[in-house]
Amino acid sequence: MKIVLKTGIITLLTFATFLLSTTNVNAQTKSETDKTYIKLEVDGLSCPFCAYGLEKKLKQAGSKDVLIQLEEGEATMSVPKDQQPTEEKLRKIVKDAGFTPKEITFSTTPFKMKKDEK
Amino acid sequence: MNRLIILLIGVLATTSVFAQGPPIFTETPILLGLDGGGMRTFGRFIVKENATVYVQPLAIPYNLGSKTQIGIAGRFKNINLNNFESVSGFGDLTFFLKQQLYQKDGKGKTIRIIAKLDQVFPTGKTSSMPSIGSDSWQSQLSLVTGYVTLKYGIYGQVGYNLTSNGLPDNLIYNAAFVYPLLPQKYPPNQLNLNIGINGKFFTDVNSNTILASGGIQWITSKTDLFEAGIQIPIVEEVPKAQKTNYVLTFGTRVLIF
Repeated sequence: MKIVLKTGIITLLTFATFLLSTTNVNAQTKSETDKTYIKLEVDGLSCPFCAYGLEKKLKQAGSKDVLIQLEEGEATMSVPKDQQPTEEKLRKIVKDAGFTPKEITFSTTPFKMKKDEK
Repeated sequence: MNRLIILLIGVLATTSVFAQGPPIFTETPILLGLDGGGMRTFGRFIVKENATVYVQPLAIPYNLGSKTQIGIAGRFKNINLNNFESVSGFGDLTFFLKQQLYQKDGKGKTIRIIAKLDQVFPTGKTSSMPSIGSDSWQSQLSLVTGYVTLKYGIYGQVGYNLTSNGLPDNLIYNAAFVYPLLPQKYPPNQLNLNIGINGKFFTDVNSNTILASGGIQWITSKTDLFEAGIQIPIVEEVPKAQKTNYVLTFGTRVLIF
């Protein structure tokens, strides 16, 4: 009897764990697909102390995860799909921050960072 | 001659008061980040043959856009003449305007040129001897240029200072080289080495002053910077009693806008 009970509990726990993990994966996948990932090539990013204005302005455009990479002259960010700014708006933001916008790329998947590749 | 002494003290006291970003002793054409919305203050000890002057300026800039900046600077000054009692009080107020004229950006580098106007209002205390204020309206127009890359920065400034009330007009010429001692990254944790020269030529009296400068800057975050520097005269065409031995500067800049 004890063995049956034990086996039953283990089976239930395993099933519950499986259900939870599947739900998490689904939630994560859903959250990632709800986002647009944006990469901006920016000329003039020559000093760390002056990049703050660009970060501030990009955050005002609806992103919470702006990442600036000076050596690559790039800024990456993600925004909810329904709040995706236009390329024109992003170019204006970069100009208003005092820099020169170059190529802007939109993606449904996150961009690989150079430091991630190393 | 008293007026000239006051002016020379004033000149040393105000050099670089209005520089809003790296380098320490020369103006910068960059109007961004700490160079844009950064409040700046520093203590300055000017040790001369006949006096020790302490100046504590405070400069607050405000960007009207990415190409235009206005600001105001005031200073507290203490002059301690050898063998006399010291005098202290608030010095002249300065309004400044910067307008970007040229910008060419590349990957990790930029060339920028700005025009800068400084208008000094003679609001400083003049009832003491020596006087804390200059008692002179002064208008200075200068061109500031900079080539800034992730590896180094070169800065230059040339301008002319028109004075009133019998003070000599002067031509200013500054140059600086800034070299980062740590790899450049963002958010910043930077250590910068500054070297440069700061010159003034008093056209009415044909007198020249050139200071060699060196300093170090520590940028601890996106919003805070600490700096220290020393200036030593290499040319100083003034009577021996008024000669400057050295100028020490300790300061900070904090981003407020």
